[in-house]
Amino acid sequence: MLLDLRVSFFLAIRGILRGSRGSLYLTILIIAMVFTNMIFMPSIILGFIKVAEDQIITYQTGNILISPHEDEAYIEDAFALQEKINRIPGVLRASVHYSTGVTLRYKGNTLGSNLVAINPDDERLVTDVYQKMSDGYYLADGENDEIIIGIQTSGHKDESLDMGATLGYLKAGDPVTVEYTNGISKVYHVKGIIETGSYYADQGAYITWDELESVYGRDMDLATDMIVRTDPDAYEPDVKTQIYRFGIREKVQTWQDLLEEAMGRAVQNFAMLNSITIIVSLIIAVVVLFIVIMIKTLNSRRQIGVLKALGVEKNIIIHNYVFQVLIMTTLGVIVGTTLVESMVAILTVYPFQFPDGEVTPVVAISDLINNTIMLYIVAFIAGYIPAWRVASEDILTAMRS
Amino acid sequence: MIIAENLTRTYDMGKVIVHALRGVSLTIQKGEFIGIMGASGSGKSTLLHLLGLLDKPTKGRITLAGVDVKTLNDRQRTRFRLKRLGYVFQDYALVPELTVEENVYLTSMIRGTSKEEYQAQTYSILERIGLSDRLNHKHNELSGGQQQRVAIARAMVNKPEILFADEPCANLDSESSRNVLDLFKQINKEMAQTIVMVSHEDWHTEYFDRVIILRDGLIISDGKKSD
Repeated sequence: MLLDLRVSFFLAIRGILRGSRGSLYLTILIIAMVFTNMIFMPSIILGFIKVAEDQIITYQTGNILISPHEDEAYIEDAFALQEKINRIPGVLRASVHYSTGVTLRYKGNTLGSNLVAINPDDERLVTDVYQKMSDGYYLADGENDEIIIGIQTSGHKDESLDMGATLGYLKAGDPVTVEYTNGISKVYHVKGIIETGSYYADQGAYITWDELESVYGRDMDLATDMIVRTDPDAYEPDVKTQIYRFGIREKVQTWQDLLEEAMGRAVQNFAMLNSITIIVSLIIAVVVLFIVIMIKTLNSRRQIGVLKALGVEKNIIIHNYVFQVLIMTTLGVIVGTTLVESMVAILTVYPFQFPDGEVTPVVAISDLINNTIMLYIVAFIAGYIPAWRVASEDILTAMRS
Repeated sequence: MIIAENLTRTYDMGKVIVHALRGVSLTIQKGEFIGIMGASGSGKSTLLHLLGLLDKPTKGRITLAGVDVKTLNDRQRTRFRLKRLGYVFQDYALVPELTVEENVYLTSMIRGTSKEEYQAQTYSILERIGLSDRLNHKHNELSGGQQQRVAIARAMVNKPEILFADEPCANLDSESSRNVLDLFKQINKEMAQTIVMVSHEDWHTEYFDRVIILRDGLIISDGKKSD
C-alpha cells in the first residue's frame, strides 16, 4: 500500500512538474481565489462583530451591565451597591448611571435626547469616552452647569455626516437649553463634544451626578443602570457569577449577553450569508477541479490503458490524480492564505470606514483550518471521481481511445 | 511456456456478432521468437491480447508458464502482467511526463525493487540498447526508433518470461524497423527471451523462428521458417 502510494506520488509530482504549466497556474489561482473568498467574507463579518464588541465594552456598558430587577424601575441604594460591586474579585470599577429623557434646544433646533448623569472619575475607569473628545473637554467630578454632548446630537459642520436630526452644529462653549420632564428648564455650557464612532455613545448627553442632584434638589441614590469594568484577565461570565453570589438581585448581563440580545439576529444572518458564500465557493472548487482532472484523464485514456497493461494497478493511477489535485489544492491554499494575509495587512492600515467605526478583517484560525479541511475534502472527491471513471475502463477500450 | 487451447473470442456489437477468433490452439516453447501474421482483421492482435492477459477469451483456455490464467482474478492478472510479462506497443506508449530513465524503471519501482537496483538495471539496459546518454531526455526529444527502443528497454527491465510486441515497427521507417528487429533478435538469442510479435510485414519473417499465420480467426499456417 505504502509502495503504491509512493509510486502514485512520484507520478503525480512528475505530472504536475512536466504537465501544462498554464493549466497548473490557472487551477492554483482559481483555488487560491476560492479559498480567499471563503476566508475573506467571514473575516469582514468577524471584523464587524469585533467593532460592535469593542464599542459595547469601550463606550457603552463596560464588560458587565447591571440593570434594575425586572419588577423595578431603578436600582435602589445605588452607591452602596457600587461599593459592594467594587469589592468583588475581578472587578476593576463600577460606574453608576442615571438616564432620563430630556429635550435639548439650540438656536431654534429642538431635539429629544437621553441625558445620562455620571460620576466622571468613576466613568473614566470604566469607559474610554473621555478619550474621544473631538472638541472641548470631558466632565470633572463636582462640576455644575456643564454638559457634554455626542456628535450625532450636536451635529457635524458637514451636515452630510449627520445620521439623523441634530441641534445644528453645536460646539464646545455654546449654550444649550435642557428641558427636564419635571418641568425644569436650564441653560448649560457645552464643555465638550464626544465623537467615539459608537452611535449609542455619540447620541447621548452627559452631566455630572452633582448637577443631577441640583436639578432634582435632593440626594440621588437611585440608578437606572450600573456599568462595570472587569480586570483584563477576568472572564466576564465568572465575574457575573461572583456578582450573583454576593446576593445581588438586580439583572446582571455580560457584554456577550448584550451583544447576543442586540445583534444575535444580525450575527445569525451573517452566519447564513457566510455559509452560502462557502457553499458557492466549494461548488466552484469542485467544478473546476473536476473539469481539470476530467480533461487530464480523458487526454490520458490511452496512457492509462497502457499503464494498466504494463501491470500498474488501478489504485496507483487513481491516487496519482488524487495526489495531483491535493498538491494543487495545497498550493492554492498557500497562495490564498498569502492573499488573505496581504489584504488583512493592507486593510489594517487602510480600514473600511463604516458609520459604526473602522472595520478591519479579522481572520480566525478556526476558519482557516475548517475551510482548508473542507477544500481538501471536495478536492479529493473532485479528483477521485473522474480518475476512477477512466481508470475503471477495461484495458483495450482505454488503449483504443 | 504458452499453451492456448481452442481460443474463441467474439464481440457483441449490437446487431452484429464479430468472431475475431474461432478456436485457436497453439503451444509456444521457451526461447522461441514467434511472429503472428495475417491480413487486417485476421485476429492476430486479438490473439496477442488474449495471450498477454489484456483481454479474456469467450471460450478456451490459456496456460502461461504453468499457470491456468482462468484461475486468476483481475488483481492477480495485473500482478502477473507486472511480474512475468513484458509489452511493446505499436506507438511506443511512453509516459510523456517521464524521462527515458523514469519510463524504464517505473514498473521496477512498482515491483518494489530498491532504488539503487532499479537505477543500475535501467542504466545497464539503456546502455545495451545504446541510449544510456539519453537518460534524462523526454519522449519528444527522441526519434520514433529511439522511443521504441526505450519501450523495449521498459518491457525488458524486469526480465519478463514472455515479451509481447504488437506491430512494434508499424510507425517506423525501414532502417529504424530493422534496428528494432535486430534488437529483438539479439535479446532473443542472448537471453533466450520468449517473444511473441504481431506483424504484417513479410520481410519481418526473416527474424522469426516460427511464423503463425491467421485468417478469419483461424490458424492457417504454423511452422518454423525452415519448414
